[in-house]
Amino acid sequence: MGMLRIMSRRGDERIVWDLEKAETSDSETVAAIREAERIFNEESARGATAFRVESGKTVERIEKFDRTAEQIVMVPRVVGG
Amino acid sequence: MLQTLSLFLGIWLLFLLLAIYYLSQAPDGRVGRFRESVSEHLSAESRAKALLREMLSENQYQQLIKFGYLEVPSPSIDNRVYRIPGSGGLVKVYERGCAVMELCLQPAEPLPDGDVVVMHKLMIEANEEEYLQKANHFAPGIISLRCQHL
Repeated sequence: MGMLRIMSRRGDERIVWDLEKAETSDSETVAAIREAERIFNEESARGATAFRVESGKTVERIEKFDRTAEQIVMVPRVVGG
Repeated sequence: MLQTLSLFLGIWLLFLLLAIYYLSQAPDGRVGRFRESVSEHLSAESRAKALLREMLSENQYQQLIKFGYLEVPSPSIDNRVYRIPGSGGLVKVYERGCAVMELCLQPAEPLPDGDVVVMHKLMIEANEEEYLQKANHFAPGIISLRCQHL
């Protein structure tokens, strides 16, 4: 499964899609990916940072939405305290 | 004396019950909203705990539970460790076991404590340089008060 997790005051919110169907035209998967990409872009524009987190791999910061990612975690804008 | 005290206690309890009844009947549902807010908070904390469990190894999670902090080794500086507090506050930086500085970096919107721990961990592991640039640096031990969300 692919997953976009967005941290917020309510805890993380998630959008999940089927990675195996990501390259097909399965309508449910396409809709979920579109929604995830829209939120990704919206949050990025608000200053959020996105990380690709995959088991057994180093965490990577990403600038563009990746539908093939196992998991993307978005952290809201941060400031020095 | 005891009778007077019992009378006062009785009156106080009566007022308390009346207040609870009044609030529960209030058209704007103040009690309901309070209950909702508590439930929202608990739900946020439980989601954050679930995220923590997924993002940390078993050893890291146990360290956080046992000692109240998570240590993340620096990806680029030998013998440097970032000690992230589990319930807010400054991130302490140790080199060869000695505190060298404290860092303050916060999300612009409040997050549950567990999410803040994950946030620090991801930022350090993915882009330590940027993390250090964004954080405010303090000499170790100078500020020990918990940073408030901005």
